[in-house]
Amino acid sequence: MNRAQSWLLLYLLTVVGITFVHQAGWLAAGLGLALLAAGPARWRLLTRAVLALLLFNVSVSLAYALVAWWQARPVADVLLLMNLRVLLLVFLGFWLVDRIKLLEALAGWPLLAMIATLAIGQVAVYRRLLDDFRLAFRSRNPVSPTPVDLLRHAGAQGGALLDKSLHSADQVAQAMRSRGAFDA
Amino acid sequence: MHIPDGFLSPQTYLPAWGLAGVAWAWAGRGLARRLDETLVPRLAMLTALAYALGLVMLPLPGGTSGHALGVAVLALIFGVRLAFLAYSGVLLLQALLFGAGGITALGVNALALGLVGALVAVAVRRLFAVAGDTVAVALAAFISLQVSALLVALLLGIQPTIARREDGTPLFFPLGPEITVPAVLLPHLLIGIGEAALTVFVWRHARRKGWVSA
Repeated sequence: MNRAQSWLLLYLLTVVGITFVHQAGWLAAGLGLALLAAGPARWRLLTRAVLALLLFNVSVSLAYALVAWWQARPVADVLLLMNLRVLLLVFLGFWLVDRIKLLEALAGWPLLAMIATLAIGQVAVYRRLLDDFRLAFRSRNPVSPTPVDLLRHAGAQGGALLDKSLHSADQVAQAMRSRGAFDA
Repeated sequence: MHIPDGFLSPQTYLPAWGLAGVAWAWAGRGLARRLDETLVPRLAMLTALAYALGLVMLPLPGGTSGHALGVAVLALIFGVRLAFLAYSGVLLLQALLFGAGGITALGVNALALGLVGALVAVAVRRLFAVAGDTVAVALAAFISLQVSALLVALLLGIQPTIARREDGTPLFFPLGPEITVPAVLLPHLLIGIGEAALTVFVWRHARRKGWVSA
């Protein structure tokens, strides 16, 4: 087991353990401990975690607060427990990814590692291509485009995206073939 | 529409992980022989598409998010087993890189979206094959999304019943099915139209390229 896999195992055991804790105080202490241990990256990771769950948890919390108020049920305890638990779990996930190389941690599962490698590569291709298209579209439209223009552009972009992505993945697959990745 | 970390009780996610483990073993059996330099680029491309679709999400008060999945197109082109595995990879990446979904919820999400979504898509396409390819593919995408959404809503909705304190206070997700089902399903009726259109678009592209037979 390599270092990344050890961290992954520890992370998995910790997140399971956290779901058996039902006291907000313990979860807050766990979050404090994780923040201390995360070192200089703590505030960046915490900000990312809060942003990742903000919309989600606010919508659920507001819906529950409304229902609980209507039914005269306790609100604060439930929301504190739920939000602290979610924040701690998301923070730990981001901290893990910040600490280790994900593909190294997946090395024990060749099929999963291969799919993840290809998907991560493709995501980068998509992002680059979308940026190119967006900038090109903007430069060709000094005035606001009509909905028809937008639709036509989206169709062309979709087709190009698939072709470019396939070409890129094809190159990766050929490289993998030349290195024996598909040899039985 | 994946469920985030911290909303599901261990009574739900631990058995789901066990079941998903069995399903992953089934899906992965003999797969290495199928993967070659022709199939892998197509799989990578559409897996990345599913990944991208999953990130354009709208949070729903029902405890999940609304977005297209891309599972149907994976299932229709590559089959249920490969679609399930590929989508599980997507869920893992989204959970770890973006905090969308989560590790504890991965088993539930993979089963509800990846496996059930793929199975329903393939079954519906076969069922409506007589209606023509475009209609069958569109219905497959639309219905598979609704079934997955319903499953996710029900799993969230049972949390206050199966995981609560003695006084009835919920320990995990606090809203019941009377809220989660409409809150999750209604937006997905609209999203399903987009999913169907996208699936037909990609399906036609795949047919033009000769990846799938008519």
